[in-house]
This record gives sequence, structure tokens and C-alpha cells, in this order.
Amino acid sequence: MARRDGLGRIVLYAACLPVLLFLLLPSLVIVPMALTKGQMIQFPPIWISVHSFADYIEDPQWFRSTVLSFEVAALAVAIGCITGSAAALALHDRRFPGKGLVTGAIMAPIVVPLVVLALGGYMVFAWLHLIGGWMAIGLLHGMLVTPYVFISVQTSLVAALNPVLVRSARSLGAGRASVLRHVIWPAIRPGVLAGGLLGFAVSFDEVVIALFLQGPDAVTLPVRMFTAIQFELTPKVAASASLFLVLSVLVLLAQAAVMRRRASGRAAA
Amino acid sequence: MNVALPIAATAPLGEARHHLSVEHVWKSYTSGVHVVRDVSFTLAPGEFLTLLGPSGSGKTSTLMMVAGFEAPTRGAIRVDGRDVAQLPPERRNFGVVFQGYALFPHMTVLDNVAFPLRMKGLGGAARRRAAMEMLDKVGLADFAARRPRALSGGQQQRVALARALVFEPDALLLDEPLGALDRKLRESLQIEIKEIQRRVGVSILFVTHDQDEAMMMSDRIAVMQDGQIAQLGAPDEVYLHPETPFVAGFLGDTNLLRGQCVGLGEGAAIVRFAGDAIGPARLSRGGGRPGVGDAVLVSIRPERIGLLRPDEVAACVIEGVVADRVFLGRHTRLVVHALGQMLVVSVAEPPGADVVAGAAVRLGWSREDAQILHEMGTGATR
Repeated sequence: MARRDGLGRIVLYAACLPVLLFLLLPSLVIVPMALTKGQMIQFPPIWISVHSFADYIEDPQWFRSTVLSFEVAALAVAIGCITGSAAALALHDRRFPGKGLVTGAIMAPIVVPLVVLALGGYMVFAWLHLIGGWMAIGLLHGMLVTPYVFISVQTSLVAALNPVLVRSARSLGAGRASVLRHVIWPAIRPGVLAGGLLGFAVSFDEVVIALFLQGPDAVTLPVRMFTAIQFELTPKVAASASLFLVLSVLVLLAQAAVMRRRASGRAAA
Repeated sequence: MNVALPIAATAPLGEARHHLSVEHVWKSYTSGVHVVRDVSFTLAPGEFLTLLGPSGSGKTSTLMMVAGFEAPTRGAIRVDGRDVAQLPPERRNFGVVFQGYALFPHMTVLDNVAFPLRMKGLGGAARRRAAMEMLDKVGLADFAARRPRALSGGQQQRVALARALVFEPDALLLDEPLGALDRKLRESLQIEIKEIQRRVGVSILFVTHDQDEAMMMSDRIAVMQDGQIAQLGAPDEVYLHPETPFVAGFLGDTNLLRGQCVGLGEGAAIVRFAGDAIGPARLSRGGGRPGVGDAVLVSIRPERIGLLRPDEVAACVIEGVVADRVFLGRHTRLVVHALGQMLVVSVAEPPGADVVAGAAVRLGWSREDAQILHEMGTGATR
């Protein structure tokens, strides 16, 4: 019995390992490629140098794109958190005809193909003469972030907002604003945080919209990488991709921390 | 758990002065359903009044209308004569304690108790001092810095009471605060609520579906059924002299006997039961008087029926045959076939060994123990 178990486990590992490698390799291969000595991005890399990281940081265009990507993501997260939370609060515990339609409209940016959003956004912002600025990209990304925050806050509301707390606060003299501040905000804070983090990741590496709405002074980091890989083949691409890897790991860790705090808070309450 | 509060023997620290009255309140929905129908009662200063009823009887809806979470369709809710029915809950002045207590989990005990004072715009130092004083009154001053979840159920209840009392509400409204707890804890918390009421001197409107809880705690009980008050009175009055079959059945076990009114006297009637047994029974105060010849329904509590010795007499004496005998510790329950039906008799003293199934017995009760019921349109018996 024990031998069979051992054998079964070996077979299991043997079957799973290739799958895991297949999933992880494209991500992991980026870091050694960034550590090449050569002036071209290549595989296998020529070991070992960090010059591509230095090049990436010192290149003003790449630096500008990195900052721009952060600006875009910050604007998108700010918009998404406000609209997503507001929408979740407005729809919570409320029944009315057409609620499904409203929810569908909020979720649409996740479902509608990005090219469609990008093209539509391009037309509208062109008409408004906003093409070529980071604001346009940030605004459209904000739309993309909204459903993520919406779902996350909705989950928080269902899980953590005890409706009796709202009644209790009101009976103790709290008006709408006080209820929002003292009862609702503490309950949805983890949801806003988790949704915001996810939204940040979504906006930061979004390419399609950023490509459509780019201008000479509005090239986000992923778009810069995309262009570079086509014309320059510089290892800066791999260096910046490593930055993405680090950022996404950080976002994942932060989300896990938020979730754990939320879970422990609920278990104890 | 059943800890006596530290300053239990002191005189009341406050005095209730406010008078709450609910006048002909209705709550109807557009679907035509009336969840509360013409409910009226008054809560005198310092009184403990309980709305008692099964789920769906309208007791919680009534309380929520007093608290302001639901608007009455018709009727007035007055505090010292002023109608508050149109005010939102935050502008009324009631302390509400909910089931589960609804303490704010992210605030300390002190901040929880200080919260209503903060909402009223009291400064930081003043409200902390007042909250601390209130916590001291409920014996929790040492727990001020803790979070609610670090407290036991009983301590949480005291925090909830402190929070609902700290702003000197016109009345305290309690919505089944003990509903989810086990029996032992319930009993000790019932005593605590009464004790805190005595010490702070506040009027309490209490909602429960537990008749024992209602009897133990209340000055008066309003038994609710189908959105109406079926009977309102002191616990012993409601228990011993129920006016409807529903009230009789809801407040404990009872025997319902059908009979015919054969004579009327002062507050009582002479009833002829099946088998031609004749005895007096009290008339209900609220219900109408039956006429001579009318069919009547009489309620007699199992513990009010006596097992008579051969030489003993009573206002009404009947004969029956024992069908079953069960020893239940505090009392012995006999099921007796008499008057063409099964009667449940509960005797405190274990009857003699000859009282077993098949034995003939004599049963009797007094005029005060038999109560003529007033049958309402919806009077279903439980």
C-alpha cells in the first residue's frame, strides 16, 4: 500500500512538473535574458552583466515611459476605486427592475474585447482632442479597473457589512455621512484595497488601449517594450520585463496580505 | 457566568421620565398584507413592557417602527406627546439593542460606548469621560481598551447596553437580544438586563418569542398575533386569565374545554361541560359576555387542576380515568380521560401508587382557575 502510494506520487510529480515548467518558464526566462553581456536580446544569454538594467534606467525615454505607466495606473486606480466602490454601494441590498442590466454595464469592460474599447476610446478622445496625453489612457484604464473594484467591494459588502451595524449606528445618532465613514468604510476598505491592487496590475501592463491612444509623449512601458522588440532588440526590454515580474509578485503578496487580514478579521468577529 | 454586578445594591442612578405611546399604528404593504394592525400601547416611565409573539406576529415590525427603521402606514408614535413617527432613527432618541449586539468590531469598547456622544457632537475628552462612567456602571471599566470580539457574550451585552444608555435615551428598545444564546447564558443575561434597568432607571420595550423570558422580565406583556395585540396585561394576569385560545396556548400548556353557558354571575358564568359536569368559570375582561345558552370555550392550566382525595370538594368536580402518568422531576404529569376528552393534569406532589393508567380519579378546580376565552376571528389554538 505504502509502495503504491510512493509510486503514485512519483507519477503525479512526473506529470505535473512539465506543466508547471511550461507555465513558469516564459516568465523565468526573462531574468537571465536581462543579465546578458550582449547588446542584443538573445537566448541563450551571454553571462553575466547588469548593464541592461543600468541602460534601462539611464535611458530618458525608457525612464519617462516607466513614470508615465505609473501615472496612468495611479489615475486609473483612483477612478476605478471611486466608481467601482460607489457602484457596489449603490447596488448593494437594493432590488429594482433592470438591476441586472446596470450590473452588466459595469462589468462590460471585462467582457467587451479590448480592441473595441480601444477603438471606441480612440474615436471619442480624438474628437475631444485628448489623444497623445497620458490622461486619455488613464481615463480609459479607469473604466477597465472599475469592474475589478466593483466585484471586490461587492464581496466585502456581502461578507463584512452586517446590516444591523448600519441600523445600530443610525439609532445611535449617525446620519448618512457618519454611517459611511464609521460603518461602511471599515467594512469595504479591504475590498477597495484588493480591487485597487488588481486594477493597478491590469492597467500597468495593458497594451491594446495604450497602443491605440499613444502619442509622442504618451508611450507607456509595455508599448515602449513592444516597439523596442520590433526595431531594436535591446536587452532593456528584458530588464523592464523583470520590473514587471517584481511588481506583479509584490501585488500578489500585498493582495494575499489583505485577504489574510480580511479572513482573520472575519473569523475573529 | 452568573456573576453579580459589582455595585448591585445601590439605589437607582437615574429616573425615567419619558412617556412613550403607540397609537393605532398600522403597517401595510401595497400587496394588501397588514403586518401590524391597529396596535396601541403606552410605555410608562420606568416600565418594562414586552411584545411577545411567534415569528410573523408583527412584534419586530412594531419595534422597528418605534425605532424609526420602518414608517407606519397609519397611526402615531409619541414621546411625551410629540409625534416622532416621521423622524429618521438618528433623530429620535431611543437606545436600541439588537440581536447579536451589533457592536462596531473595529472600535474599542470605549469608542463603541462613546460613539453616540460623538454623533451628538460632544468633544473628545467629555465623551470619553461620560463613556467611562457608563462602562463603570455596567462593571466593565477595566475592559475599555479591548475590542468587542475579545469579550464574552455577557460582556458584549453590557457594552451594548452601555452604548444604548450613555446618551440618556427616552427609552430602551431591545430586539430579541438573547435570541441566539443557550438557555443558561440567557437566564443570567435576563437578570443582568433587569439589574441594569433598575440601576439606570430607564423604560424598556422588549421583543421576544420566548414566553418564559417575557414572564420573568416584564411588568406587562403584550401578546401579539397576526399583527394585533391579542392581550395586554401583567404576566400573571395574562398567564392565569388568558382571553383568547391563542394567548392561552402560547403562554404554556393548557386544557381547552367546550361547554355551554347556563348561568351568569358577577364576573363569572356557570358552564355545563360534556358529561353534564357543571362549574363556574371567570369571564374575560376584554371579550364580550356570552349569553345564557351560548357555547363557550374554557381554558384551565394543567397545574390548576387538582387531584382530589375522596373527601375533598371544589367549585367544579369531575370524574375521569387515568390514561398515562409521567414523572418529570419537578412535577408529575397525568393524562386523564374525562368530559369526553383528554385532560392534562400537572401535580407537584407525586400522587399515590394507585394512581396509574386505568385508575378512576376525581379532579377539581376553583372558579379562578377556569377562564372563559373570547374567540377572535383568527383564534387558532396552539
